[in-house]
Amino acid sequence: MPEIKVTPLGAGQDVGRSCILVSIAGKNVMLDCGMHMGYNDDRRFPDFSYITQNGRLTDFLDCVIISHFHLDHCGALPYFSEMVGYDGPIYMTHPTKAICPILLEDYRKITVDKKGETNFFTSQMIKDCMKKVVAVHLHQTVQVDEELEIKAYYAGHVLGAAMFQIKVGCESVVYTGDYNMTPDRHLGAAWIDKCRPDLLISESTYATTIRDSKRCRERDFLKKVHETVERGGKVLIPVFALGRAQELCILLETFWERMNLKAPIYFSTGLTEKANHYYKLFITWTNQKIRKTFVQRNMFEFKHIKAFDRAFADNPGPMVVFATPGMLHAGQSLQIFRKWAGNEKNMVIMPGYCVQGTVGHKILSGQRKLEMEGRQILEVKMQVEYMSFSAHADAKGIMQLIRQAEPRNVLLVHGEAKKMEFLKQKIEQEFHVSCYMPANGETTTIFTNPSIPVDISLGLLKRETAIGLLPDVKKPKLMHGTLIMKDNSFRLVSPEQALKELGLAEHQLRFTCRVHIQDPRKEHETVLRVYNHLKGILKDYSVQHLPDGSITVESILIQATAHSEDQGTKVLLVSWTYQDEELGSYLTSLLKKGLPQSTS
Amino acid sequence: MAMSFQKPWFLARARRRFAMTRECAVLLPRVCAALADPRQPGSDDTCLEKLLDWFQELTLFDSTVQLVQDNPCLTEFITSVLALPEPSPSILSFTLRLAGILAASENRFQHLQQEKLLARLFGRDGPLNSAVWEDASVRSGWVQGVHNMMHHQPALHLLCSGGGIDVIFTLQGDPSLFVASAASQLLVHMLTLSVESETTKPLSTKDCDWPACAQMIIKRIEDSLQSSSASHIEQSLKLLTSLFGSCRATWTEVLWLGVAKQIESFLTEETVQVQHMLANLLLNMAWSPVFRDTEGSFWALVTSALEHLTPVQAGPLAVGILRLYKCPQDVRIQALTVLLQPMDCILRAASQPLEYAGLLDESVSDPVTVESLLSSRSSCANLLCQTLAHLEELLSLSRLPVDLPYTSLLRSLMTILQFCNGFLSPASPLGSTISRILINCFRVQRSALDVLAALSERKGSDTLIESLFDLLLAYLESPNTSPTVLKKTFQATSKWLVRLQELSCSNSQGQQTEKILEDVFLVLQKRLCSPCWEVRDSSLEFLTVLIKCLRDQDEFRQSLLSSEVPRLTENLLEDPESYVRASAVTAVGHLAFITYFAPEPPVVGNQYNKENTVAKLQEILSTDPEGFPRRAVISIFIKWLRQGCTGQLEDTEQFVSRVIQTVEHDLDWEVRLGGLELIEVFCSQTICQLGLPQCPYAPVSSAVTSSIHWNESLQVFCRAKLFSFLFRSLCDCDKPVGQRACDVLLGLRSNFYPVSTLEGSQGTGDSAVGHGIAWLQRTLRQGSLAQNFPTDGSNGVDFQDPENMMIALGAIELEELHDELNRSSDHVEKSPQSLLQDILATVGTIEENEADCY
Repeated sequence: MPEIKVTPLGAGQDVGRSCILVSIAGKNVMLDCGMHMGYNDDRRFPDFSYITQNGRLTDFLDCVIISHFHLDHCGALPYFSEMVGYDGPIYMTHPTKAICPILLEDYRKITVDKKGETNFFTSQMIKDCMKKVVAVHLHQTVQVDEELEIKAYYAGHVLGAAMFQIKVGCESVVYTGDYNMTPDRHLGAAWIDKCRPDLLISESTYATTIRDSKRCRERDFLKKVHETVERGGKVLIPVFALGRAQELCILLETFWERMNLKAPIYFSTGLTEKANHYYKLFITWTNQKIRKTFVQRNMFEFKHIKAFDRAFADNPGPMVVFATPGMLHAGQSLQIFRKWAGNEKNMVIMPGYCVQGTVGHKILSGQRKLEMEGRQILEVKMQVEYMSFSAHADAKGIMQLIRQAEPRNVLLVHGEAKKMEFLKQKIEQEFHVSCYMPANGETTTIFTNPSIPVDISLGLLKRETAIGLLPDVKKPKLMHGTLIMKDNSFRLVSPEQALKELGLAEHQLRFTCRVHIQDPRKEHETVLRVYNHLKGILKDYSVQHLPDGSITVESILIQATAHSEDQGTKVLLVSWTYQDEELGSYLTSLLKKGLPQSTS
Repeated sequence: MAMSFQKPWFLARARRRFAMTRECAVLLPRVCAALADPRQPGSDDTCLEKLLDWFQELTLFDSTVQLVQDNPCLTEFITSVLALPEPSPSILSFTLRLAGILAASENRFQHLQQEKLLARLFGRDGPLNSAVWEDASVRSGWVQGVHNMMHHQPALHLLCSGGGIDVIFTLQGDPSLFVASAASQLLVHMLTLSVESETTKPLSTKDCDWPACAQMIIKRIEDSLQSSSASHIEQSLKLLTSLFGSCRATWTEVLWLGVAKQIESFLTEETVQVQHMLANLLLNMAWSPVFRDTEGSFWALVTSALEHLTPVQAGPLAVGILRLYKCPQDVRIQALTVLLQPMDCILRAASQPLEYAGLLDESVSDPVTVESLLSSRSSCANLLCQTLAHLEELLSLSRLPVDLPYTSLLRSLMTILQFCNGFLSPASPLGSTISRILINCFRVQRSALDVLAALSERKGSDTLIESLFDLLLAYLESPNTSPTVLKKTFQATSKWLVRLQELSCSNSQGQQTEKILEDVFLVLQKRLCSPCWEVRDSSLEFLTVLIKCLRDQDEFRQSLLSSEVPRLTENLLEDPESYVRASAVTAVGHLAFITYFAPEPPVVGNQYNKENTVAKLQEILSTDPEGFPRRAVISIFIKWLRQGCTGQLEDTEQFVSRVIQTVEHDLDWEVRLGGLELIEVFCSQTICQLGLPQCPYAPVSSAVTSSIHWNESLQVFCRAKLFSFLFRSLCDCDKPVGQRACDVLLGLRSNFYPVSTLEGSQGTGDSAVGHGIAWLQRTLRQGSLAQNFPTDGSNGVDFQDPENMMIALGAIELEELHDELNRSSDHVEKSPQSLLQDILATVGTIEENEADCY
């Protein structure tokens, strides 16, 4: 039986980094190739040595697919392609291909800044890796090879994020990557057609959460920024160069415009121009509202947001600054934080996750006295706020996607085990499909029931309609015919047509069985007794006594002869065709019971 | 008596860094209590991992019970987790691993066993018989815990007496790849430990008295090898493979002799399909002197394997054998034959009747097998890619143990490439099948081009060079060539062009070379205008490589300069794609070496205007919105400066000064770092030119003249405004910049201050004239040196005043600052104390933060 195998090397019951191996109809695909930012040694990358025990990776894997540009989905890609040695095709959408190197470069620059960092990719490796990437359009069917095809669907979440359908023959898998089922300020909602995959691999970050409206969180954010600025404080928003930053920029820009605010907003990195350039370039990937506004004014050409200069941090008065990196562990954001931390009028808003050991992680967990370098203590008096703007589907959204795609099986990744367990039960109850949640390193095997398309001959169809049964998708029905398999195609035709096409002569196949009956009478008398007996029982069948002394019941033939050694025993030879298999068996068993005494 | 021995300094430093400080000892009980509290949400996995890393460090060089005695919270923690009715899988897994780390020393093992903690964790009544065993992380924790502990006999006995061996054998077939692999590794480790710590007399085949634990493991291996279950056999083969790979002791031979017959039978056995496992096993054995140095039997088995395994299975074994230093020559030749067989088949398929000699006189396995693999769509590309990868590996060896038939190999490679682009469709049935399968097969094209590039370095394959370039040019020209294949074609072409030049120097093939070069530049012109940025970029990279390798060759320079390539390259400085702009900058920078920086500049009109190019590059440096092109410009400027292309000292001073003023405000720290490197090169060149004694090539000068010279060079540096950038960089928000600036300043100070003077002045750190480290630290903390370092006024320092700069150089304790910058080059706090604080601080915080990755 054909099977699909899924082994997560990352994202199996965790949210660390995504890397999922899928084997489908002899093809091997790697879905995402993410990095765990919580480690600074080889543990940050998936352990690729588990992909194959024998042979080279390039020979084993047919392709790598990257769902979107976040580092927990693409961060290990240059390592994999330039250091581990994978040299095969890599697929991602056009915006992801454009934006990926910016984030990889951003992270590399922070990483090589650290002491003792080894085994990390270089700028040249990022470029060489990106040159191997084949960019795909939404809904474009891409033929990886003669059998394997992939197709991207819109996933929301971040610019360029896509869900991918992987198809080999009639078997298919859909991998969602990270997705969002509700539109936000700059992106639309995920969508997929009713593709009925054998397996849907879905993220489940918010598996048990019904999230409050994002509007509320946005209002809350604006309120906090506004209040701080009003009382003359400074607001620091540590961000990564691309993604959340743009969303928050649009939010503040429109708010400043509406409220006619004058406090300056700065973006501290030179990358903003490039980021905005990509948002402009890939305007079709944003949501409808932005696309419409674009005709009058480009949303990403900000009036109020200006480039930041290091000297501005010391300026008096209120201001808002977006600075990189997002976890307050190096560079500009940390430098500004150190300047502003001592003033209770100021505020830092952390819009994303921070790994252990970073200043961001420490202040989010409530630590207010930080030991900085040289054992100097920095007292944090400024307000610290955490605001999650991450765009993942919540439990409702995940169920909605399953309803849309109608998969035969579901497999959950990118979530926590407990939450997954809850959602798994819900999915199994509501959709009556199997749901799996393998841990990292565990292989889930799904047996597929491939639907094989069969052409039916016109003659056979006409015969069926002549009987008066019109085809109905919802009512499967039984049809008899002869299946011809030729040149990789299947056709159902009438037996006569099959014989004709294949140039074969018809043969009659008959089953025979001997039944011994104790009856001292003459043979013709015994036959008569049998005839009467059967006539009495099989009232609805045509039972005939033929002149040659044999009996027929439909196509079944019964003849009697005396036993050569024992004249008192009569041998009944029962013979039937395969069409009357059931009746033949019944008759035989009936005769084996013997004839009733009273029959004469 | 306690042993004492000298440990390397870095170990001592690591120990200090990870030591159990008083602060940590205070925090640890609270952390343990929090972790064992089932009401608390689970801690971040990375924290638990880092905690284990710390305990690993703490116990690595300390076998005493002090750690567990001084910190009873550790044993209390294990006890309380064991007492939990439903411990969380991640905490239980952590506990198992922690207990293993602690029990790694016999002393601590006994200490923990006083309360039977280890038996309760790893024994029958522990987690392995509870519902939580279903969780892969618990099974993984159990295996890792046992592995951590397995360093002494009591640990071995604990496991063996409690039926642990059976559990580990079962876990070899675990649904989790991680657990299965860890279990296999553990068995290897236990077997080695048992034999090496419990054997009293040397083992021999005649008198084989294995210790109890080893006996149990070996018995299980032998049993499973004889079973009919392929998975059991595979597990045992895997185990033996890693055993022979990691242990080179003589007893491994005794073990081998017990199973050799059975394993040999797998080569010919058709009912059990485990042949694919044998190549790795034999290869690991071949690396071990125990087997490698034996006469006859082992190599007979290898020979038999090369014969019986399929070409795909035998390939890795063959290439591995050819990498061996010690190996019988006939086995080597057989291994080479295995690798060449598919290449031979390609040659034969392409020419019928045979025009050329094939690659092989005889084959190892039935040629029909290779033919059928190559004529099947599903296996053809796989076999070829694997073979080509092995050949590339072989060609990368500096010393080949066998002679390769280079010409035939090259011909075969060319045939493959011709099949792939449809240039060759032979009449033979096999040839036409293979060519149909290979057409447009990028995978095979890439692999073949890699081998082609590697082959260029081997002499003896030159007769085909003309037709080879026809083929390469066809690939470079064809619109069907994919960008990744094109890149590989460029790489192969550049290597063969270098080879061609070498050949044309040694014989009179000048005309042929000229024609090839012309054709290459013609096609390069086209490729530089490709709509695909990957192609433009690869083309520029190709050009740079060519200039680097061939810039001394007249024919090359003439062909290049008479083509449109230089003009097109300059145009690409304005490419919309930043990667391409950066590559164009590098190419233009290298082109300069053969135009205006050449000893005899070419007489090709006045299209090569040095000032124009420099101005263009400077514009990119100051205005390009992206880092790559700016970084490329600064790298090129450094290269020019190093090679003395920037003119006389005065011109160079102005040039450096201009560049520095541009880069000092750059947002990209790597550009600023480049600026500092430029300063470093400039300073050393200036000092060298002005004849300071530090320059090895300078004449030794008297004290008087040297003081005049330092004065002069110092003035040059001040005029060029280097000091302002150097001192500002000390407090750069990106640490590598600060470190580099400090290095440069240290270098300058060592030039300007004789050591004796410096020693005298260091004591005056806080005197009126000097600024000590405390002052600089204060300044650095405030983040802006410029504001605190008075630029003028009565008591200020003027960055352009040589005297002030001399004072600044002497007064700041740069060594201390250097140490300071090196110590904390990032702000991800790695100390155990910080980790413990973070774990405690996260207790009770909202769970959502953890999951909210992006």
